[in-house]
Amino acid sequence: MKYAAADLWSSRITNVLFFLCIVPTLISMSVIYVMNNDVIRLLLSGGSNAAAPKIAIDERFFYGMLQGQCWPALVLTAWIGPKLIAGDLANDALPTILSHPITRLEYVVAKLTVLAAFLSAITWVPMSLLFFFQAYMSPQPWAWAHIHILLGLLVGTMLWIALLSLLSIALASWVKWRIVATGLVFATVFVPAGVGTVFNAVMRTTWGNLINLPYIMVTLWRRLLHVSIPAMFERYELPTTALLIALTCMCVLCAMALNARIRAREVVRG
Amino acid sequence: MAVIELNGLEVRLANRVVLESLSGKLAGKAVGLLGPNGSGKSTLINTLLGFHAPSRGTAHVFGLDVRQQSRQIRAGIGYMPENDSFIGTMSGIHFVRYMAELAGVPAENALERAHEAMFYVGLGEVRYRKINTYSLGMKQLVKLAQAIVHGAKLLILDEPTNGLDPVARQRMIQLIREVRDAGDVNLLISSHLLRDVDETCDEVLILKKGRVAAICNLEEERRANRRFIELETVAASENFGEAVRQLGCECASFPGGRWKLVMPESIEIRDLYNIAAQQGVQIRRMNYRRDSLEDIFLNAMESKLGVARVGV
Repeated sequence: MKYAAADLWSSRITNVLFFLCIVPTLISMSVIYVMNNDVIRLLLSGGSNAAAPKIAIDERFFYGMLQGQCWPALVLTAWIGPKLIAGDLANDALPTILSHPITRLEYVVAKLTVLAAFLSAITWVPMSLLFFFQAYMSPQPWAWAHIHILLGLLVGTMLWIALLSLLSIALASWVKWRIVATGLVFATVFVPAGVGTVFNAVMRTTWGNLINLPYIMVTLWRRLLHVSIPAMFERYELPTTALLIALTCMCVLCAMALNARIRAREVVRG
Repeated sequence: MAVIELNGLEVRLANRVVLESLSGKLAGKAVGLLGPNGSGKSTLINTLLGFHAPSRGTAHVFGLDVRQQSRQIRAGIGYMPENDSFIGTMSGIHFVRYMAELAGVPAENALERAHEAMFYVGLGEVRYRKINTYSLGMKQLVKLAQAIVHGAKLLILDEPTNGLDPVARQRMIQLIREVRDAGDVNLLISSHLLRDVDETCDEVLILKKGRVAAICNLEEERRANRRFIELETVAASENFGEAVRQLGCECASFPGGRWKLVMPESIEIRDLYNIAAQQGVQIRRMNYRRDSLEDIFLNAMESKLGVARVGV
């Protein structure tokens, strides 16, 4: 794992992307600080209490932050996911690697762990810190009353991390060129989403959203954080169970792709 | 204990039997694995490494079952694959260190061991270069370095001289001999080049169509060859034959002054010259029997399958 992590950090682009992904956290932290500090709010509004900026630090705030962190995480994943195994596959290093006391499962888990650690550093870790920062800054007891936000953040980001990690490693294992694998990660997320939308329009249904990954994730995040939507849109919603089944199917497909590809030796059929 | 022991081993890949009823014990210090293309050499190696599961029978490496204990087996094996198999963007030293750590060498020792291995194979000067920039010969050597870096008990070398020019090939053969003679490491060398196996191995397993065609102890074969002599003489009478028999040799005469002798261990060639000198016999030509590995291989290929030990 340490070799994979060191390899990732050696790239300047990875560093730049990583720090760009931290930017929303810094902005959110500033907002939390300002909203909990009356002096600064008054200073910003030129001394008028009525004109002082007022942003509620609640479910909707963290929901926005979750999206602000998780979509950049997709960009970072598309960049570093393929890099993690492209080097091993380019010169067919798997027979050598797997001839050591390490199983295929351990190899994949190690790669996923590195990726998950990277993504954690820009998703649930900073968001949890912000949650506790808000709890610390808030003049009233806040944390316990909003504990569902923390749980929602953790579950929502874990789901996203698991899916992104599996997806990027699985796709990269099938494509020799890293840059193509990066493009394929984006295509796998957004092309089915477009197809699903067309399906919905043609068939006058909403079940096409089951292949619309952005829709699935945004809906799950919203429900996890207890963010309400206008009643008129509720009839377009799909049940949570269906969304979770769709996600599970995607993960299983990725696992099958990895199982077929991450082998010391290919068996030629026929 | 046998290094490798096969008991009715059968391996099926994609519903096709690739190895069938392989049985035998290989105890040589360096075992050659021979066979034409598609005979199952690589499949056997992959099975020993645990990459393919046996569908029937068993295979043991140092007494460990490949099905149940493949992790322990792999911990004691150094494997040099036939084709390119490395991380090209890593430097040689980095790659070898990485492989050492994967093999279980503690991180604090791995770098030192990697340096030693790189110098041992002759890549000390280029160890900080990326492997992608290495020549074919250097890539073979770095594969050998990663195979020996953790002090394996069994080295599996799959076509180690593949694609090498004569100088690089000679260097690789020399290295293999050094590795063989240096420590208590055993070798399994798969090659289609009989000469490579002849120069490095003391035992061969010959496969044909996924079955054992022959297991041959080359050392014993060589010793036997040294005892069988053909002579071409002038003026040799039956007295010469009698004198040779009195030495303890078995001998038979043929037209044209040709003799065939089987000498006991205690008899030296010099004794034959002495007898010839005493009896005024000229020895014009003296040949050891040359039952080369090529002959053994060709015999195995021509024989019916299931024929087992040669020269034992």
